[in-house]
Amino acid sequence: MADPGRAAAADLSAGGAAAVKFVRHLGAVTLVVAVVVVIGLAWNHFEPGTLVGGVQASFDKQASASGRAPGVAVLRPGAKTGGPHGPHGRVVIVRNGPMNLGLGSMFDPVNLAVLRHTVVIEAVVIAIVVMIDVSRRLWRQERRRARQLAPYRSDDEPDQ
Amino acid sequence: MNGPPVTSAAEPLPALDRRRRIAARTRLDFWFDLVLLIGYTLAYSYGFTGIAIHEWLGIGLGLALLLHLTLHWDWVIRTTRRVLDPRGHDKVIWLVNLALLFGMTLCVASGILISRVALPYLGIYPLAGPFWERLHVVTAEVTLGLVPVHLALRWRWLIRVGRRLLTFRPAGRQR
Repeated sequence: MADPGRAAAADLSAGGAAAVKFVRHLGAVTLVVAVVVVIGLAWNHFEPGTLVGGVQASFDKQASASGRAPGVAVLRPGAKTGGPHGPHGRVVIVRNGPMNLGLGSMFDPVNLAVLRHTVVIEAVVIAIVVMIDVSRRLWRQERRRARQLAPYRSDDEPDQ
Repeated sequence: MNGPPVTSAAEPLPALDRRRRIAARTRLDFWFDLVLLIGYTLAYSYGFTGIAIHEWLGIGLGLALLLHLTLHWDWVIRTTRRVLDPRGHDKVIWLVNLALLFGMTLCVASGILISRVALPYLGIYPLAGPFWERLHVVTAEVTLGLVPVHLALRWRWLIRVGRRLLTFRPAGRQR
């Protein structure tokens, strides 16, 4: 007879093992992703010119010690911008009221063209890959069939 | 998954039971991949969503990709071992997935570094720069080419599972 207590314990240990496996895999994935990010940071540090030319070099020299981009001014709610003594360059506004998600633009028919463009590109690429895959499989089947038929032909032929 | 029906021949198998027979993991993979595709399509369509949704969706996609990779980590390990074998299969898929891993990770990371709404809203001011802006654009374009390829290379699985999950057959009608 099956022991219900033992079965429950086995279920529990299987669940625990799955959780440990998941955490282990998540750790490995995080490590791989971190390596890719470090490669990106190294690229920015050593060879930024390969992507943006000489602009990055001057940007790096100007980078401030506060960790904020050069020319960026942070404004608190209610602060005034512009004017002869106001901040110049890029302006970052901090927590100025509730965040605007810009949901209005999603329902604007004009902007639907952007989404349609993305979907069309994806659909075209999918169609091309599927067609290549189907033709490759058909070609393989044909070749296999030809290979299966070949020995019969050679056996049927009388020896000269 | 394609085993004999558990009910008798006289008793028709309801559509719900038919769907239940698909493994829970397969269902999770299918729906999660579909959500990822929709999320990615929306996130790429920056002009459609606006900046705030684009940024939050991008951060969410980054986390979802971590989960997606974790769920398929066994496949990654198994296929990486097989790739070294000259007669091994799945080489193309492995290469596409590797390129996608680099592209997507750098796209999300550079997107976080040039964030103008999401991170400043949380009080974090990332160090932006032309390198990261250019990298974000380039990797986004690369991933737009790779995501459909990644999907299309598994089209048979998608059609097979999708047909079983989405086809509604009224009770009483059997193939």
